[in-house]
Amino acid sequence: MAVKRRTEDEQDLNLTPIMNLVTILIPFLIMAAQFVHLAVIDSTLPAIGPPTEQDPDEKPPLNLSLALTEKGVMVLGADAVLHPEGAPEKPAEGEEILPTVPCKSGGTCTDAEDYDWPQLIKILGEIKDQYPDDENVIIVPGHRIRYEVIVMAMDASREDKGNLGEDGTARILFPYVVIAGGA
Amino acid sequence: MPKKSGRRPPEAEALNINSMMDMMTIILVFLLKSYSTTDVSVAPSDELKLPVSTTQVPIKEVAVNLVVAKNQIVVDGAPVVSLTTVPDEDRPGQEIIAVPEDELRGQAISKLYDRLLEKAEAAKALGNKSGREEFEFKGQIYLQVDRDMPFSVIRTVMYTAGQAQFGQFKFIVYKME
Repeated sequence: MAVKRRTEDEQDLNLTPIMNLVTILIPFLIMAAQFVHLAVIDSTLPAIGPPTEQDPDEKPPLNLSLALTEKGVMVLGADAVLHPEGAPEKPAEGEEILPTVPCKSGGTCTDAEDYDWPQLIKILGEIKDQYPDDENVIIVPGHRIRYEVIVMAMDASREDKGNLGEDGTARILFPYVVIAGGA
Repeated sequence: MPKKSGRRPPEAEALNINSMMDMMTIILVFLLKSYSTTDVSVAPSDELKLPVSTTQVPIKEVAVNLVVAKNQIVVDGAPVVSLTTVPDEDRPGQEIIAVPEDELRGQAISKLYDRLLEKAEAAKALGNKSGREEFEFKGQIYLQVDRDMPFSVIRTVMYTAGQAQFGQFKFIVYKME
């Protein structure tokens, strides 16, 4: 059998220009890379306008407000759902109004996780059952409430992640948030 | 004299860069996937830690970028007002972040109002000049606020922005994966 003799060496592919290109591209891409993902929460200032006339036969509109206090969250404007037997009596002078959703620790909330968000979502879900077309909520934080708590309240009022629909998406509650000046 | 061997000395071998090329290609693909051209950039520091949220709304439009860090308020990268800490009246011994009294004009922050009004006028002029709807001034403003900021400061900033014709707030947060 004849042996084929190598007449000349095989030439390696010269990768140096590609290496140069990649070395230039990498620092550029590192500068433009985004390792944490940012998102946006939309909010507007409260609108000021004349009161609209209400038809006495119509269902009264829902003016849902969440007052964020250091002792918990007060759900306002939804007495028809929360107290169907009639609004609770006003507390005596000097007596403190108890929050609808108190802190998990009982007293003053120690941090954002101490607020009972699952309970708030449950209550908002009950309100949504009665007012399926309503999508607005007004958040009224106290002056010492931290921004993180406000964001978590907006998250809680936006959707119920524990209640998935047939298409696998979370149930939408009250996605349009207005932040109003608190006490 | 030692006898010379008949073999030729081995040739100097070229550096094998194939494995390095493999590594570079993987890094390149990863970085291309992370590539982002968002208008908003966040510089995390001890003074500015954004909260985490479940919102999935992406950043799209170009708007004025207002940062409320623990020590200062910054508009489009330029510091405008320094914040201070004052004793908390309701809680003796504790301090709370506040806007200095001498920076306030009524309920608004005077320097911030002036700067935002300049931005609003410039955005309106640009919108009129271009004549295109996407450049029209819509009063949108991006807010990057430190997660420990008390609402008293946020309310003052929002009120000031509202007075300067910025009524649509877009709070920038870290997206929960």
